[in-house]
Amino acid sequence: MYMDVPERAVTVEEAYDDLLRRSLSRISGDLARLIYLASTRDYNTGQYRHDGLAARFRTDIASQALELAHRQIFYRLAEYPLAQLVGEVELYANASQQGREEILQVWQKLEPYRVALPVNVNVALAQLFVSNIKLALAIVRRRPKTKSIGASAS
Amino acid sequence: MIEFSSLIAGIALLLLLLTAAAKGWLASRPLGPEPAASEEDATEPCPAELVNRIFSREDWEFVRGLKAGGIERLFEQERKRVALVWVCQISAMVRKVMREHAQAARQSKNLRISTEINIFAQFLVLMAVCGILSAAIQLAGPLWLGGLAHFAQRLSQRVSKVQETIRAGALSSAREAGSA
Repeated sequence: MYMDVPERAVTVEEAYDDLLRRSLSRISGDLARLIYLASTRDYNTGQYRHDGLAARFRTDIASQALELAHRQIFYRLAEYPLAQLVGEVELYANASQQGREEILQVWQKLEPYRVALPVNVNVALAQLFVSNIKLALAIVRRRPKTKSIGASAS
Repeated sequence: MIEFSSLIAGIALLLLLLTAAAKGWLASRPLGPEPAASEEDATEPCPAELVNRIFSREDWEFVRGLKAGGIERLFEQERKRVALVWVCQISAMVRKVMREHAQAARQSKNLRISTEINIFAQFLVLMAVCGILSAAIQLAGPLWLGGLAHFAQRLSQRVSKVQETIRAGALSSAREAGSA
């Protein structure tokens, strides 16, 4: 049992690095990464699933690595200044296959970003994130389509 | 005459503090449909950066630069809501710490009155600050209250730390009593 702990920690870290390198680095913007990671979580069980990652590591290790990445990206986004978050929303809306206007409208109506929160995060922080996204959507909607500035494209 | 007026001023100040403390306690209750801070949520650590973000003027300057009245109003409304959730969270966390402390104190055999008074005074001040913050946020919005919010956060951390120290002391003395 004692020997298991460090070995397990290293493996989650490896899976996490692999996830960053193979999947997340190909996604433009932290908001898009957050949505992607949230989409790997099962609505009913709260467990994360990624077949490729689970094949290279173990299912439970892959799940932990996904959860870790999800939390880290969430904390990063929640601390973004509003101006930077506006850039993220702009990048996300412009990069999606649906029309930008359609995405913005649906996001304002359905607020799907609420489902993208990791579990057990600080309530005030979650509220700040939701509130900032709401504001960013309102700001982006009244702007003409521009090239994104300040978003984390890498 | 001066002494009498000081006494009146003292009583008025005490009443004000107690009112604000009561207001703080009321503010710590759930706010309705939005996710409010319950006492279970309060156990989650509150990131230090959060206060800076909620009460920062940087975002407000950005919004003001957009020159859009609707967005400005939305910003004020949203920030107010988040700030109130934060105040609820701090208040709930402190009440939880105090309840745990009271339980531990009831079982303790070597209570120090001075320490207890000190902790209770800090608790009262914190609840008063939460009450003042809550009222001021509702009246004026959070953007002018960064200093007070930082004070509340520091004080809540201090109360938690004192409680942790007392708990650790109680545990070690219980262990010593058990081994003796």
